Amino acid sequence: MDKVVDLYLNDSSTRRKWKHFLEKLGLNNFSSREIDVIDHTLGLVDDAGNLVGTGSIAGNVLKYIGVCNEGAQPGARFNKIVTALQQYIFNQKIFHSFVFTKAKYSKSFQHLGFNELAHTKQAAFLESGTPDVNAFLDTIPKVKDQKNKKVAAIVMNANPFTLGHRHLIELANQENDLVYVFVVAANASLFNTDERMKLVQAGTADLKNIFVVSGGDYMVSRATFPAYFLKSPDDLVATQTQIDANVFKNIIAPCLFINSRYIGTEPFSRTTSFYNQSLIQVLEPSIKVILVPRYEVNGQVITATKVRQLIKDDNLLAIQKLVPSTTMDFIKNNKEILQDRIKKGMNIDGN
Amino acid sequence: MEIKTTGVAGTLESSDIQIMISKGTDGIQIDLDSEVAKAYGDQIKKVITDTLKKYGLDNVKVKATDKGALDCVIEARTLAAAQRATETSDKPELGVL
Amino acid sequence: MTYVKNRLRRTMMFVPGNNPAMIKDAGIYGADSIMLDLEDAVSITEKDAARMLVYNAIKTVDFGGAEIVVRINGQDTPFYDEDVKTMVKAGVDVIRLPKTESAAMIQKLVKDMEKAEEEYGVKKDSIGVMAAIESAKGVLNAPEIATSTPLMMGLAVSGEDYTADMHTHRYPDGRELEFARNMVLQAARAADVYAFDTVFSNMNDTDGFYRETKYIYELGYDGKSLVNPRQIPMVNKVFNPSKDEIENAKAVENAIREAKAKGSGVISMNGKMVDKPVVAKATRVLETAKASNLIDEEGNYIGE
Repeated sequence: MDKVVDLYLNDSSTRRKWKHFLEKLGLNNFSSREIDVIDHTLGLVDDAGNLVGTGSIAGNVLKYIGVCNEGAQPGARFNKIVTALQQYIFNQKIFHSFVFTKAKYSKSFQHLGFNELAHTKQAAFLESGTPDVNAFLDTIPKVKDQKNKKVAAIVMNANPFTLGHRHLIELANQENDLVYVFVVAANASLFNTDERMKLVQAGTADLKNIFVVSGGDYMVSRATFPAYFLKSPDDLVATQTQIDANVFKNIIAPCLFINSRYIGTEPFSRTTSFYNQSLIQVLEPSIKVILVPRYEVNGQVITATKVRQLIKDDNLLAIQKLVPSTTMDFIKNNKEILQDRIKKGMNIDGN
Repeated sequence: MEIKTTGVAGTLESSDIQIMISKGTDGIQIDLDSEVAKAYGDQIKKVITDTLKKYGLDNVKVKATDKGALDCVIEARTLAAAQRATETSDKPELGVL
Repeated sequence: MTYVKNRLRRTMMFVPGNNPAMIKDAGIYGADSIMLDLEDAVSITEKDAARMLVYNAIKTVDFGGAEIVVRINGQDTPFYDEDVKTMVKAGVDVIRLPKTESAAMIQKLVKDMEKAEEEYGVKKDSIGVMAAIESAKGVLNAPEIATSTPLMMGLAVSGEDYTADMHTHRYPDGRELEFARNMVLQAARAADVYAFDTVFSNMNDTDGFYRETKYIYELGYDGKSLVNPRQIPMVNKVFNPSKDEIENAKAVENAIREAKAKGSGVISMNGKMVDKPVVAKATRVLETAKASNLIDEEGNYIGE
């Protein structure tokens, strides 16, 4: 009978064996971006001691799952390794997990009770356990007769919340009955999820008909999107965008009766402008995408990236013009902490 | 009995069933995923419901992924999940059995 | 189900206690005993779930008349107490204690079982015990362990842990187990309990399996522990009595019948006294022959 064993990838011979096994199964992205986030890896060995399956856990995401079905009931080893991974996270009191995988494996996961949230030609995104997406949707505030209202959504990282974000929200606020501001929840930013949420809330407290909501696990962050299973790392942005847009279009928007989404144009970042293009492709026509030119102060576009750079440079005076007073106060009061994070290696170039 | 945390028991392997239990507010609500749901769904739900009631749990959210489990397996997994959710696994209530 | 002291126990098949598929099918392979395992085959985090599953399986699954043994977790683990209570309540046939090293450990088990029997209204002495001998200390204390309780069903050598304790490991020829095998067998025979040999886990080495099984059969073992149902017919084949042994056993049976009919207290055959060990052996041979379909209802030899 096959046995589940712990694999320690910091042992170089184990890592070589593991990598070789997955390479034979057609996985070939073993970059540190993908591997460094792994918390634990399990292996499946047969009676003769051969590695016949493996799977890894990164937070609440299952990764690098692969099995060899030779000499076994089809599916049995897959079920066994997924069960073992789940038992591993259950023991850490994580009862809700995700998997990003090749589209052709979506069915296999669905057979194990996973629920597909979105898929593209190449990839699929599934979840398992509780609280699931329905529970997430239940926690989002709604208004009476929302079905017949004009409802807009904005998704932002707000790292940190700037006057540019504020401008976008104000515009949406004027043109709609209700605006949802989803704050991306990935903790890979200079300002952590909690801080970003609070800054958006504080910066919009004076506006009516605005709901600031955490994107939870359902606004897929580019920073944490696993790409190990993609044919080429270049597919990352396209795949992540399509997955993210599909979840929004098929699951989030219908439940909240969202009819439009506001996004800022991005004159400088090719990635973001590419992102915007694919977003339009997926969302329209069922959800109208409104592109808003970036807000400028003195002929200069405001970006959160710029704010972060100024924090690094210790130029608080220059930040004053780019952010609302609520954000400014926070930066003033927490300057040392933020600068310390940058010193400790927090990347400030992304979004 | 009070549900203190989410409790899971069982595997996704053949002849087994994975039961995930968490606090509910509206009676016993079961979300069942099974290839034999059409023929045996009601029976599976009944075993889960009866077992939870016997254990003194009335408001429970249940997620069940069935891989063709026998009734005795369904009952055992439900009990184990209930014990874990009520944090009584080390001193299980054998009187329920 | 109730514990029967004497019965056929050529094969004791290990079944992982948290695996419903294997538990469900355990009864169809014709093992004499089925050992549902709560110990090594179950990871620490699944002990509670496995215990529930095994409990329910004992209550409801049809094991085809096999004797049901449960290997509980050791007395030095936090799972032991609940294992004992739950298995007593389930009404298992035999409880197997791992890592047995002294008579006191078995006596503690029996006491704990008695307490549970009282608590759950299970008939006293309706469950047997067996000891797994897995260490040098256990081997040296085998005689006191074998005689520690009237409920003792048998002793089993566990080669994997024992060889580790002896600073060696398993070798194909089994010389490293020689002393333990003989010691445990002597202790079992002297105490009139059963003796079981350890598992042979290399499923690809059929010759090696036959060699080892023949060897322990010739030593005088009652049965072998197994991890794979495919090994059951192989063990049975080795344990099958020869045609001569069967004919002889039938003659002994006839002699007993005649003596009884005559009301004679002394049984004789071919001019010799038929004493207790001879009768016991004849009974064993015929029982085995019947189980392996070597004789028909009337006792006629139908083997090859």
